[in-house]
Amino acid sequence: MIDWISIPLVGLPLVSSLVLLAFVANADGSTRERLGSTIRMVSLVISLAMLALTTMMFFAQSQSLMYEALGLDKALDWTGLGFGSFNFEFRYMWIEALGIHWSVGVDALSFPMVWLTTFLLPVTIVATWNEKYAATYFPLILMMGGALIGVFVALDLFMFYVFWELTLIPMFFLILKWGGKDRKYASQKFFIYTFTASVVMLLGLVTLYFLQPDQALSYSGSWTGRTFDIPTLTAHAQQGNADGAWFLGESMQKILFVMLMLGFLVKLPSVPFHTWLPDAHVQAPTGGSMLLAGVMLKMGAYGMFRLPLAFFPHAAEHFQFWLLALGMISLVWGAIVCLGQTNLKKMVAYSSVSHMGVILIGIATMQPLGWAAALFMMFAHGIISPMLFAVCGAFKHHYHSMEIGAMRGMAQHSPWLATSMMFAWMASLGLPLLAGFVAELMMFLALWHFLAANDWSVLWMVGPALVLALTAAYYLWSMQRTIFEGGKETQPPATLHGEPVPDIADSEKFAMIIMAVFTILFGVMPWIALDMMNGWTVGFFETLLIPILGGA
Amino acid sequence: MAASAGSSVIVESTAAQYAPLIILLPMLAFPIILLFGKLYNGEKFWKDNLKEGGLIALPVMGASLLLALWLISDFIGAYGGVQKLSDWTWFTSSIWESGFATQEVSFGFGIHVDHITVLLLFVASFLCLLINTFAVGYMNTDPINDNRNHRFYAEFVLFCSGMLGMVLADSFLWLFIFWELMGLCSYLLIGFYYERPSAAYAAKKAFLTTRVGDVFLMVGLAMMWYLFGSLDYDVVFDKYEIKAVAETNASMLAWSLGLMFIGAVGKSAQFPLHVWLPDAMEGPTPVSALIHAATMVNAGLYLVARMFPFFGAEALHGELADLAFIIAAIGGTTAVMAAAIAFVQDDLKKVLAYSTMSQLAYIFTGLGAALYLANTLHWHEYLTDGTKNPDYYVNHAIVIVAFGAALFHLFNHAMAKGMLFMASGAVIHEVHHAHHHLHHHDHDESHHDTPEELIMLANYLEANGQTAFDFFSSIDLDGSGEIDTYEFQTALKKADVVDLPPWEMAPLMKALDLDGNGSINVPELDLTLGRIRKEIEEGHHDDHHDDFDAQSMDNMGGLASKMPLTATAMLVGSLSIMGFPLIGGFWSKEGIIANTWRVALEDPRFMYPALCVLLGAGMTGFYMSRMWLKTFAGSPKGEVAAHVGPTNTWIKTPLFILTFFSLAGILFASMGFTHWAPDIEYGLMSDHGGLWGGFLYEMEHVFANEKAFFFILTYVALFIGAVVGPGMALSLYGGALDEGEEAKAWFTPVLALNAAVKGRYHWDNSSFAQSGFATALSNRLYFDHYYDMAMLKIVAAFSFKSAEADSKVIDGTIKTIERTSQQLSTKLRALTTGSARDYILMAAVGTLTLFALIWGVIA
Repeated sequence: MIDWISIPLVGLPLVSSLVLLAFVANADGSTRERLGSTIRMVSLVISLAMLALTTMMFFAQSQSLMYEALGLDKALDWTGLGFGSFNFEFRYMWIEALGIHWSVGVDALSFPMVWLTTFLLPVTIVATWNEKYAATYFPLILMMGGALIGVFVALDLFMFYVFWELTLIPMFFLILKWGGKDRKYASQKFFIYTFTASVVMLLGLVTLYFLQPDQALSYSGSWTGRTFDIPTLTAHAQQGNADGAWFLGESMQKILFVMLMLGFLVKLPSVPFHTWLPDAHVQAPTGGSMLLAGVMLKMGAYGMFRLPLAFFPHAAEHFQFWLLALGMISLVWGAIVCLGQTNLKKMVAYSSVSHMGVILIGIATMQPLGWAAALFMMFAHGIISPMLFAVCGAFKHHYHSMEIGAMRGMAQHSPWLATSMMFAWMASLGLPLLAGFVAELMMFLALWHFLAANDWSVLWMVGPALVLALTAAYYLWSMQRTIFEGGKETQPPATLHGEPVPDIADSEKFAMIIMAVFTILFGVMPWIALDMMNGWTVGFFETLLIPILGGA
Repeated sequence: MAASAGSSVIVESTAAQYAPLIILLPMLAFPIILLFGKLYNGEKFWKDNLKEGGLIALPVMGASLLLALWLISDFIGAYGGVQKLSDWTWFTSSIWESGFATQEVSFGFGIHVDHITVLLLFVASFLCLLINTFAVGYMNTDPINDNRNHRFYAEFVLFCSGMLGMVLADSFLWLFIFWELMGLCSYLLIGFYYERPSAAYAAKKAFLTTRVGDVFLMVGLAMMWYLFGSLDYDVVFDKYEIKAVAETNASMLAWSLGLMFIGAVGKSAQFPLHVWLPDAMEGPTPVSALIHAATMVNAGLYLVARMFPFFGAEALHGELADLAFIIAAIGGTTAVMAAAIAFVQDDLKKVLAYSTMSQLAYIFTGLGAALYLANTLHWHEYLTDGTKNPDYYVNHAIVIVAFGAALFHLFNHAMAKGMLFMASGAVIHEVHHAHHHLHHHDHDESHHDTPEELIMLANYLEANGQTAFDFFSSIDLDGSGEIDTYEFQTALKKADVVDLPPWEMAPLMKALDLDGNGSINVPELDLTLGRIRKEIEEGHHDDHHDDFDAQSMDNMGGLASKMPLTATAMLVGSLSIMGFPLIGGFWSKEGIIANTWRVALEDPRFMYPALCVLLGAGMTGFYMSRMWLKTFAGSPKGEVAAHVGPTNTWIKTPLFILTFFSLAGILFASMGFTHWAPDIEYGLMSDHGGLWGGFLYEMEHVFANEKAFFFILTYVALFIGAVVGPGMALSLYGGALDEGEEAKAWFTPVLALNAAVKGRYHWDNSSFAQSGFATALSNRLYFDHYYDMAMLKIVAAFSFKSAEADSKVIDGTIKTIERTSQQLSTKLRALTTGSARDYILMAAVGTLTLFALIWGVIA
């Protein structure tokens, strides 16, 4: 097997972005201006190459042409990979004394996220084709992509944490340099807030590292005798949790579970740790928002599946009520606050909070169906929410305002933008045959199954039911005041100073169409992604969770 | 379902193989029409020869109809066997219930054809084609639609695809999926004239109101899925599965069905989720005809009819009787309420909208009665203990006929109401044209869109002798020279000018914010307010609106001579809806009334719906007659009505065909449509000796029932519905046509009767018209008002407070923590003494502590 991950998917974007940035670092303004379009094109080509690679990896599960091109002698298996196994698993020694490795690999949990990141990179580049300071903007987008993929492919806790924090840097600069009026405040808040939470998580990880019994686990450090290797630790924790015992002891497991979850809950984000998100989104440039909502939030959910749920299933079961409660609160509170927004982008940002609640609820059901719902929600929201933010960005670009109602009768002036908005809004509110619906449906079924089978109160169902109506309400209400109305002689807003209103640019149209097509594709044919997600959840349950929890 | 319970084989015919095309063809036409429209709008060939997509949609709908007819004839040929096309897996997942393995659950899609499918499939595909034809004559002749008809036809075919898909789907899941797809199209088409605020409002209202129902439906589906582990009809209708569920969790099944019924209430516009339907008339008339009369609103009925196997199952005997009563009671309530509101409507389409609501309610009542009978009578051949059922023959017939009557009314109503809407569209279209023809006004429309609140503000300042600067400085407390939305809103509220919620401030800000920086300064305020003052002084503020309403019946009258075919269609349609003897809806309506009373004799609770439907029959007679008479009889009201001309062929053709279908009610009744129900022994023309035998049987059954109670009931219902109701309308409205106006021969008796009754029995109804009750009726009994208030004052206000709380309380807490830690760190900075000795000490202590910690943890 060839290591298609380390260099092409992580190293390439990171290094090329640094090279490109170094290239323009000392150039003066006009040179940068000149180099901008070249750098943009280079970034696009690199991101497309990455997309081509991950797409080949997907098709390598059935097409001989693809797996032969990847240098494999048999088809890759994503669906039946089995829990704890990874494709393209590679380890290189990094710091021997501490047992730190550069360790990569993808399974059916991370692969959809990796593909999603490579999909969103070119889409973001195209959607924000005319962004200012192109010479530095596009390399930062690439760097963002490399860091995000690094998080998803890391199989070493140390490496995971490094990439986890690395994602903050390009995002921080994207907000700081390309952001709106309050960009300074927003970027700092974003950085400090999520960094603080990550430090708690880091403490948890370090404690976990030191608490391993001093015995020769694989890949342990020569000096510490302890390992950072995630698969090894997972297997080790599995043994520790067997037969009703608690790995690391009951109280320590609970404490570590909470510490790790805290880092992930802030990133997700879950109410009440969500207030950095609307500020970051409102101030962030369109491209930053697209990647932030599309992939960065999913790091939180991904981390939960990869670490605390796998290491500490007893604690997860113990905190099941709180997981469900947090998910429910995020879901409902996010939707209610959405309805009260007057700012379009803020509304969309809060809708993310609400949708991330679905993921938590899915996890809390402790059902493969619910987990698959969460995984599919991560994926579907990763396609739909960038479209939401692309629409918001175009709206701002056109009307120099984000106030809902500042522009009415958009269908008259900008039919493309109006259509894109209608589509994205409908997709986000869970219209059947679009990607989001499948996840919502599965969550609904899993939740009821869980409540009914375990005799929990049916009142838990009120939240999701209410949100179905509320989500429709805030999206429809905002459309009524933007796309519709305005009378026959719709006046363009005063913010335009009498300039004619152009419709969105061709590059934006193209990006919208791509996102819409994939939203439909995964809505009509969810099995493309769901089969592997289902395979992974079943593996997780049958290999790890059921032996541990089922016996109790 | 009786059929799937082993009494017949499941066939997979050739026609069923092609059935997915019935759904796919229109679905594929959707992007094609949209794309062509984008590319070719404005080109002559596209406009004249393809009618901006109308003539792409037409053959597609024709093909769908042909495939549907093939499937139907196959089904009838197979003598009622359920047909099924094996399903494709959509996606699979797993659940973990007990033990050490997970169970796979899969969700699939397939085609399911039975009696109910066939009936609705015909109604939907047939009306889609006819209304498409009508639309070509209606939409493409109005210049206002130029260059946007492609949107209409694209959404139209997508809707048809949804409706046909819903009918053909083989599971409740896909029923729901297509159901939502229809909801989307309904939303888009109601909002077709997006620039009209009323259309935007109506579209939102329709989507949200039905969404409320859908939420319950989805919860109901989740419950059902939990009980059966599947939503496929195959599984959930299987009598052994039902038996297993009935033994363990019958109450959850009842709840599940009840919640699903709420979804049906929303979709079929029944009390209390009925408010969206009248507003939905903002859509173009073909949309009203297709979606809001003939097809989509039947989806709720379809869903309830689909539940029949649960009600009919022996295992659930008597368990679901309460739910059946609720269904009938909701139906009865809506039937009377909608009919009463229809009394006072002057808008032609609104009358029809309320009539639709009322007639759908009839079908709900009929279904409720039928489901009650199915649930409380032993009507299967064998009882649960395996012994032969002595009452099998009698009870079986009762259940089947009751269910058949409700379904037959669905059929009759769809045909008649589709036609009535198209006919009303023809009338409106011609009145509109006549109006435009008469009034060639090209008044300038260059009036400013000054928000009313600003005028109020200007008046307020004038009254208080304040200048813009005074007002401004009273708001701008921080003296920054700029005020934002919230400051402005607070100021307006404080000054008692107007209390607007923040989300309604945008137009004001827009009007004032001349430089577009998002906030207002003194010159901007001064300039705008000055302009407004000037306009008020010059009296510029009268409305230049064209307030002629082409839909108001007060602008019609005497059209019988000018639009003979339309008037005939409307007459036949009205008679069918009224249940006039021998015409269309008569057969089914009599059946519904009789069966509801049959149940009322068993269960006194049913007296309520039974009385409602009886009373409703008279009310229907009144408002339908009133509508026809106000439109077509008497003298033209106003100049416009006198100049109305005949309509075009595209519009006439479907009217003509549907007139035949309504008149042919007796034919369908003789063919056995009155017991077109899920049982193979009651196939078409099978049990009473062919068409003639069927005719004799129906006539005897209805007019000379051997049971004295039903014999009397028939004539009471007839007297109320066909004599009292219409008689009152005849005495109040219409009259003979003007001198010299000639009408077709078949109108002569109607008009003569009208003139005679009106001349002799005319009475003064002004005391009623001015009563509080009439006012309440014309305000739709205030439902809309209170729902809107609840939305704005409670939901929206609460959400606004929540948004505030989110930034002040939740984010505020975080900020406080941050500030505190900053202050702390400022204090800590005091430790930074600058002395190297201190630093070394601190580093040493820190390192030691760290080591101690690590050592302690490891050991």
